Amino acid sequence: MTPQHLLPELAPYLDEPKQLPTGSFGKVAELRLGFQRRGERTILADLYRRAPLIVHKAIYWDEEMPTMPCVFIISNAGAILQGDRNTISIKVEEGSQAHITTQSATKIHEMDANYAAQDQTIVLQKDAYLEYLPDPMIPHKHTRFLSRTDIIIDPSATLLYSEILMAGRKYHGDGEVFQYDLFSSLIRAKRPDESPLFTEKFVVRPHELPVQQVGVMGNYDVFANVVLLTPKQHADRIFEQVPAVFNEEEGWAAGASRLPHDAGLIYKVVATETATAKAKVRDFWAVVRPEIVGAAIPRQFAWR
Amino acid sequence: MTSIPELMRALQFGDSMLPVGAFSFSNGLESAVQEHVVHDLATLRQFVRTAAEQAATGDGIALLEAHRGAQAKDLNRVIAADQAVYCRKLNEEMRTMTIRMGRKLGEMALQVLPDPPLVSDWLAAIKQNESAGTYPVAQALVFSALGLTEEDTFAVQQYGVASMMLGAALRLMKISYLDTQSILFEINQSAQAAYQRVAKAQLDDMSTFSPVLDILAATHVKSRIRMFMN
Repeated sequence: MTPQHLLPELAPYLDEPKQLPTGSFGKVAELRLGFQRRGERTILADLYRRAPLIVHKAIYWDEEMPTMPCVFIISNAGAILQGDRNTISIKVEEGSQAHITTQSATKIHEMDANYAAQDQTIVLQKDAYLEYLPDPMIPHKHTRFLSRTDIIIDPSATLLYSEILMAGRKYHGDGEVFQYDLFSSLIRAKRPDESPLFTEKFVVRPHELPVQQVGVMGNYDVFANVVLLTPKQHADRIFEQVPAVFNEEEGWAAGASRLPHDAGLIYKVVATETATAKAKVRDFWAVVRPEIVGAAIPRQFAWR
Repeated sequence: MTSIPELMRALQFGDSMLPVGAFSFSNGLESAVQEHVVHDLATLRQFVRTAAEQAATGDGIALLEAHRGAQAKDLNRVIAADQAVYCRKLNEEMRTMTIRMGRKLGEMALQVLPDPPLVSDWLAAIKQNESAGTYPVAQALVFSALGLTEEDTFAVQQYGVASMMLGAALRLMKISYLDTQSILFEINQSAQAAYQRVAKAQLDDMSTFSPVLDILAATHVKSRIRMFMN
């Protein structure tokens, strides 16, 4: 991957923070999660963590899939701060299944120097199944955030991965909507033999190119991007069940497209409110899971 | 100053009537009109501007890279740019558009131009599934063969995106020829700045951000009444 300091979109933001400099203790979080099949169950066989990213232990709380470990990614920093460099690496070995989510929304704190970055690598081996559905990200005023996700997936495996991006703290003060400086997000997927599947890169700079434009975000404030990498026969059946809709009355629009190289589907949602976008992602998940593993999705947590 | 033959080549291969099939695509506009995302001159102007900006930061970077590869007679650079475009077309009808127009332009160049460099090699690579055959790469190869600069090629790409959508607009909504010409003139004005933004970028820097356009492309695939192929 290109070294961060060489990325053109980060060039204006290479100054050091006055607080803890980049690279210091508590600024370089790392998480490594490895899932393995043991008999009927999958276990979290490999766990390495460096604060502020924390995972305690896998819990089997999903009653619809009782053999699947569920993992909460926790941060004891409270928010992502300028100068943070997070690395997350996830490996789901042959025949294993896992569900990963976060403890709460990821707040990206207001910045006046440098940037924050998160690099992720997700590897899925033969017949592996991973749901990685984190909570929304909230980029506060003047934040600069770089997110890069590299996926290596076996043709028989399934990955459901979502990102929900809010416009900011919409109801904070006079409303903090699209006041961040930079949101750069890259998702790239390939097969274990290096053959490429797809690449998607967003570079959003609301101060330079307004995003509340027709065709970009229009009047919507929340954007959910859901990637489903799965064998073609599953993707075809799921595609049939997912309508493409513009619902002006309820303030949302959503639709799925087929990815190149028969990689699967990409499902996009825009909405005026976060709850709506989350509900649409959940609806999509509710179509995906029964098709792939033959189980329903769990009931909504009372507190989420 | 561009010479008369150069200018006339740019006019011929940048013409909206060039028989590469642009008239059968709307680049998302048909759905935008159906879903009332575009409903008047102001929303049409913004929508076309969005598409032109996305074309600059996405396909535009690959177009410049392919042009430089063609100038250096380096087919591998051209193929890498081609694959980069294809991997970033995340909607099937958007892929159909770029590949159909790309191949048609390549085949036409082979008929019309006297021995255009790399074009037949590129078409052979497409047949062998080694290259995707996308439109911006075809444009780069053809304009390089015509002896035109990368700036000219970029200009033709921007013009092509806008003129295709505005041609579709005349068939899809109540709008006058004069209004579409004024939008096209505005796009011409902004193309220089768009070129400056991407001239130094590399393939990895290719980026887009147009969620509503992407969802419109998804609705078009599922829609029952359609005049255009995307």
